[in-house]
Parts: sequence; C-alpha cells; structure tokens
Amino acid sequence: MEKVCTLPQRNHSVSPGTCRLNELGIGCTARVVSVGGDAELRRRLLEMGFCNGAQVQAIRRAPLGDPIEFSLRGYHLSLRKEQARHVKVAPAAGETAGHETE
Amino acid sequence: MSSCCNTKDTLASTKGILTVALAGNPNSGKTTVFNGLTGLRQKVANYPGVTVERKTGRCRLPGGTVAHIIDLPGSYSLISRSPDEQIAMEVLRGLRADTAAPDAVVVVVDASNLQRNLYLVSQLIEMGKPLVVALNMMDVAERRGLHVSPQRLAKQLGVPVVPVVAHKRKGIEQLKRAILEAKVAPMPDWPLPQEMREELLLVGGGLGLLTPQQNLERSKATAERLLIGDRAADLHEIWKQEPVAALLDHAGRRLARLGIDPMQADIEAHYRWIDAVAASSLVPAGQPLAEPDQTRGYAARATLTDRVDAILVHRFWGLVIFAAVMASLFVTIFWLAQPIMNGMQNGIVFVGHWLTHRLPQGPLKSMLNDGVIGGVGTVIAFVPQIALLFFFLAILEDSGYLSRAAFLMDKLLARVGLHGKSFIPLLSSFACAIPGIMAARTIESRRDRLATILIAPFMSCSARLPVYALLIGTFFASHSALVQAGIMLGCYALGILAAVATAWVFKRSLLKGGATAFILELPSYKVPQLSQVARQVWLNAGEFVTKAGTTILAFSVVLWALAYYPRLPAGREQAALLGGGPNAVTAAQSEYSFAGRVGHAMEPALRPLGFDWKMGVGLVGAFAAREVFVSTMGITYAVGDVENGTRNLSAAMRADRYADGRPVWTPLVAISLLVWFVLALQCMSTVAIARRETGGWRWPIFMLVYMNLLAYAVSLAVYQVGSHLGYA
Ligand SMILES: Nc1nc2c(ncn2[C@@H]2O[C@H](COP(=O)(O)OP(=O)(O)OP(=O)(O)O)[C@@H](O)[C@H]2O)c(=O)[nH]1
Ligand SMILES: [Mg+2]
Repeated sequence: MEKVCTLPQRNHSVSPGTCRLNELGIGCTARVVSVGGDAELRRRLLEMGFCNGAQVQAIRRAPLGDPIEFSLRGYHLSLRKEQARHVKVAPAAGETAGHETE
Repeated sequence: MSSCCNTKDTLASTKGILTVALAGNPNSGKTTVFNGLTGLRQKVANYPGVTVERKTGRCRLPGGTVAHIIDLPGSYSLISRSPDEQIAMEVLRGLRADTAAPDAVVVVVDASNLQRNLYLVSQLIEMGKPLVVALNMMDVAERRGLHVSPQRLAKQLGVPVVPVVAHKRKGIEQLKRAILEAKVAPMPDWPLPQEMREELLLVGGGLGLLTPQQNLERSKATAERLLIGDRAADLHEIWKQEPVAALLDHAGRRLARLGIDPMQADIEAHYRWIDAVAASSLVPAGQPLAEPDQTRGYAARATLTDRVDAILVHRFWGLVIFAAVMASLFVTIFWLAQPIMNGMQNGIVFVGHWLTHRLPQGPLKSMLNDGVIGGVGTVIAFVPQIALLFFFLAILEDSGYLSRAAFLMDKLLARVGLHGKSFIPLLSSFACAIPGIMAARTIESRRDRLATILIAPFMSCSARLPVYALLIGTFFASHSALVQAGIMLGCYALGILAAVATAWVFKRSLLKGGATAFILELPSYKVPQLSQVARQVWLNAGEFVTKAGTTILAFSVVLWALAYYPRLPAGREQAALLGGGPNAVTAAQSEYSFAGRVGHAMEPALRPLGFDWKMGVGLVGAFAAREVFVSTMGITYAVGDVENGTRNLSAAMRADRYADGRPVWTPLVAISLLVWFVLALQCMSTVAIARRETGGWRWPIFMLVYMNLLAYAVSLAVYQVGSHLGYA
C-alpha cells in the first residue's frame, strides 16, 4: 500500500500546509519551502541543495533518535534535528514513497 | 557561447610547466583521478574527508608538456567552513604562499550526484580560471539509470568534459589531453532577481572604477562574492576600502528592504541554473533530476544501498552490528594473530642463534643476538597483527560504513560534547593518532576539533598493540583465549572511556560552547576494492617494518650498549660468582650497567606502580616509539640470559625474580603496566602533529601533562588497590 503522509498535528509556529523537516514522517516526501536559522547554517543548507522547492525524503532516524537521514537531489545526507528544524517543507498530500509500505 | 575546440591559446603554448589543481566535492574521486594521472598512490577511501592536505605529483601530458598536479581536500563550496575546505579554497584562489596559483583546474564531478556537484562547478566558473570537468563515476551513474551526456554537458558549460571511471583508469588519457584544452567558461547569466542584478551592476561598476584593469564581468563576479558575504583573503584589500564598504552597505540595505537575502538569492539562482544544465545533460533530455519518484535512477539506488542500510542502520540491529563490528575488530586481531606471532617470535630467536652461533663469545655476538635480534626481532614479530588491523580498517573505510558509524554514534558523541564527525578521526587513531588528528580537519567548529585532537591519543594505536600482546600473552597465558581477548578488548575500552570522560570534562570547562551543526553526506556502499585494501595493508605494514629497521634498530643498539656496558670489574664478578652462582653474576652485571643505574635511579618513582628498573628503562625508551618497550624487554632479558637464550622472551619474563625471590612480574604488575600504556602520551610525533594542527605549543604541552599524569595516577591506583586486595 502507498504511504500517505499527513501533516503532524502541532505546527502552530509554521504556516498552514507546512511543517518542519524534522517532523516529516519517515518515508514521506516533501518540498522545501524555506530555510531559516543563522546565516552560516542557512548558507550550508542552501549550498547542499535545500532550495528552489527541491524534493526531500525522510529516510530514517538514527537508532538513538537523532540525527535523521534524508535523501535529496539524488544523494543522502544526515542532519541533526536541531538543523532539520530550520527547514520548512510542504508535504505533498497523498505523496507516494517507495519506503515503508504499510 | 564559445566552442571548445579553439586551439589558438591552449595552455601548452603559453607555459612551460603547468600547475593543475584537482577540485571537487568530497568523495567525488579526486584522489583516484590524481593517482591515475601521476602514478602515485595516495590514500583513497569511500567516505568524505579522506584527503585533508594538498599533495602534488607530476604528470606528462601529450606533446611533452609537464604538469604539476595538486590533489586537494574535497569541498562543497568555495566559501570554506572547515580547515580542509579552507586549504582547497586557498590553493584554488592562489592565496597560499607555499603553492603556485593553478593555471588550470580539473573539477572532478560525481556523475551520479550531478546537481550538488555542479554547485562547486558554478562557483569555479565565476573564479574565471581555465577549467576541465572530469565526469567521474560514470559506471555508478549508468547503473542507476542516469545517462549523463558529456557532450551536452560540455556544450552547456563551455569547457571540455571528459567521462571517467577513475578506479578503472578509464578516461585518464583523454583527461590528460583535455587539460591542454582547458577553457575559461563563459559566465552564465544567473537567474537572479532583477533588483539584485541592478545592485550587482552598481557595485561592480564601482569596483571597475577602482580596478580598471578588470572587465565589468569580473568586477560583477567580485561584487557578487562581496555581496553574499564571502570574506576570503583575496577580497580583504577590496572590501576594506571606504567607497566599497559604503556601496555594499547601501546595496545590502536596499535588498533587505525588498526582502531579498543576497546570499540566499545567489545560491538559489545557481541551483536554478544547475537544474537547467543537469536536465539538458541527461539522456533522454529533459528528465527532471529533482523528482526522486519519477527518475528510475533513484529507485535503483534505493534498492541496493537502502536495502543494506535497512539492516546496518536499523533501529535495533544497527547498534548491535556496530558493537559487534568494533568488538570483532579488536578481538580477531588478537585471536588470529597470536599463534602466528608466537611462531614468528620463536622463529626469530632460532634464526638468530643459527646466524650467530659460530661467532666467538663477546660484545659483537651479544650485540647481534641480544641487541638486534632481541630488540628488532621481537618487534618484527608483530607484523601480522599490524597487517590484520589495517586490513580491517581498510575494508571499513572503503565500504562506506564509516559514515554510517558516524551517523549512528552522533547522538552519543553529542552527549559528551563531541560530534559525529569526530568518529572517523577517533577510529583512525586506532591505527595511529597522527592521521587521526589530521582527519579532525574536517570538523568545522574549532572547539569540537580541539576536543577531538585532545582525546585522539587515548585510542590505542597500532604501536601499543605489540606491548598489549606481549604482556597479555605472557602473563595470562594460563587463561582461556576468551579471557585474553577480553583483556585486550578491555585495554581498548579503557582508552575509549578515558577519551569520553575527558571530552566531557573539557567541553564543560576549557572548550565550553553550544552545540554545532552536523551535516554529513552518506555515500553509497561499495564493494571494497581489493587492490585498495591490499595497498593499505602493504603500505602500513611496510612502514612498521621500516620503523623497526631504523628508529627501533638504532634505539635497540643504543639500549643494548647501555645494558651491556660497563662490564663488571673481574674482582666483583668473582665475588658474585662465589656468592650466588651465575644468576648472581647476571644480576650484578645488569645493575652495574648504565641502563641499570638509570633504571635504579628511577625506581623510587616507579615502585608504587609495581614497576621494576627494567620496566623503567623500557618506559623511557617508549618515548622514542612505544614498540621500543618491547625491544627493551627483548634486550634486557637476552643480555641477562645466562643460558644464552634458548627460552623465548615470555618465559624469561615469567622467570624473573627479585633478590628476595618474589616474582618481578605478576598479573597485577602487567595490568598496571597495561593501564599506563593505554593512557600515557609517549609519542613525540603525536605531540609534533598536535602542535601543527592547533597552531602552537599550548595544547600539545597540555596533552603531554594531563595524559601522563592521568596514566600515573590510574596505574598507581590500580596497583595499590590491587595489592591491598591481595592480588600479588
Ligand atoms: N564506482 C566507482 N568508484 C570510484 C570511481 N572513482 C573513485 N571511486 C571510489 O570512490 C571513493 C572515493 O574516492 P577518492 O578518490 O578517495 O575521493 P576523493 O574525492 O579524493 O575524496 P576526499 O579526499 O574525501 O575528498 C573510493 O572508494 C574510490 O575507490 C569511479 O569512477 N567509479
Ligand atoms: Mg581525496
């Protein structure tokens, strides 16, 4: 079955229809909406390709819960929650993902 | 766009010797290309951050031109964050006094990860140097169903693009030819917001007035760097000037009012251009790269690396496997190598006697037998263990597992104030602290890097291995192999524990500061290349043998002389012989020697730790190289051996007695000595490298003091508590 990704419930701090990257469900795909944080972190995330509505998929959490592995622009990278928090994404409703079919 | 076949001003015709730098993202295969071009054998492995220094080699290009090739650390961006990226940036921009500015740059691009790799290419284009793109990992890209067309990419970029499969040496000759045709790429028209274009034109125009020799395009590129906050050294002169600062300030404020962040707008524009370039370089053209669900290639990737990762980084099994990998690494080294090592030790003793049995009794025979064979030979016996250690490490390094291990361990390391990226430097330190400390260059935050450097020498390096193996194999021989391996593992664990504890303390005192960002690329898995693994083993075992043949040989001969001279005067020898037989003569002779006198002078300080004077001499020798401790034992016991060495070293050590008949060595003494070796910083090369990497004597001296004090204190505690509890 295809995994349907819904938004996490508590996201008062972000605009409707979006969530933070660290809240994106495992296996879900979303588009980058904006990147925050201090200039240095923002630069790094942008340079790694978190821009222009790129698609990001949450692959897995590390066994101890942090960091989280993502795939974007055809490669994999891991971010601590603390950094992923600064990326706002818009999960595509009903987006299909190749992982974690339930 | 200019064609790329314009041969009029090729590099060859303008220069005698070319300087060519190899740039590219981490793990894109730069060093593999470098080895292919130069025939050298620099280290290659499957994790980002293998190369942390610039390395040069020579390459003869077609037509006889000679090129100096510079291999660089990988970087994601020319705006550097970590020391290794800084080196790459400075060499590329010609900012380093020790390296000639490159005449051309070969960008190694990972074809299977085109978009992110093109970001650095887009920055290099702005730099205005002649470029060649080596489109590497073509095999991986094809396997994922990504057909990148070099011709189309070349047309898009306006520079030569050579498809390469570097580890198979495919495309290297073509790359050599292409270097001669390197071209300055035409400046793309970045799709920037209109307001930012206007500001760039304004600032660029202003810069043009200050530096009339530059054309407007270059001035605009400089303006762009300034506006997005690049403060590299080559711009200092410019942005410190009053009019420039004013222009920038004005532009920045106007854009801010419009809600435009120049840095973000710039990166986004680069990526928009990249999306277009990547899309039209793929066959069939127009297949969007950014859609993981639609590109067949990404699905293909998901099958292999993700299937492996589903187990290796699994919530539960991931940790179990990690622990098992680490434990088996150290245990197998001990288990597998111990029998080979014992055999070798006996063999060496046998060969020594066979070689020297015709020589007359006297200093020459003693020097060869006891000094050279006793000293160097005992150390050489550990080659199998060293080779095994490097074999396992090379497999881990080239498989891609190390980045996963960093991913698994980040949370734990963060708890003691370290960083997932500290993992690889610390693991490398199990081989040797020197590459370990250098690998810390990939850590962006200076505080985290310092903390990593300060604790790296606690990881038990390969030079400690012979000491551990000798002591465990000698004094726990009656225990099962499992117990012995357990003690071995305990030594490594103690080092790790000490590292974790001190890191925790330092990050709460000397190196206080907030958590830092952790952004780590996870490369796809690969089957380790056998040739690569074999080369690592060969190189490192070779280095160990070389060290035994040089440093350790020299120290062994010196130590032998110190243990052999001065000889007892004939009168004293007679007295000893009459008093207590041949054993008493030996004891009197050793005590009379220089080494004996030095050792005895140290004894008051060492006695509370359970060490006798011979161990004291060994500990002093260990400051030259830790293995010298083993050769010291080999020498002192061989020199003193009245039956002239039919026993091996272990037997001689076990039989050693104090004058009152107590054994010199007990399991407790061995443990206390092991603890000392785990914790003490005895390696002067480590101190020297720490000085270089921290930029001063402060930290290395601090390391030397705190580690050795800790070693003394813990050994003391172990021996004293152990004796009181009744363990002899
Ligand atoms: N399949 C494949 N693997 C390659 C190719 N070129 C290099 N590799 C492998 O890719 C990995 C990285 O290669 P390196 O040469 O160490 O990469 P690097 O760019 O020097 O990496 P850093 O020094 O960390 O920046 C190694 O495991 C190589 O064996 C290639 O064309 N195809
Ligand atoms: Mg390299």
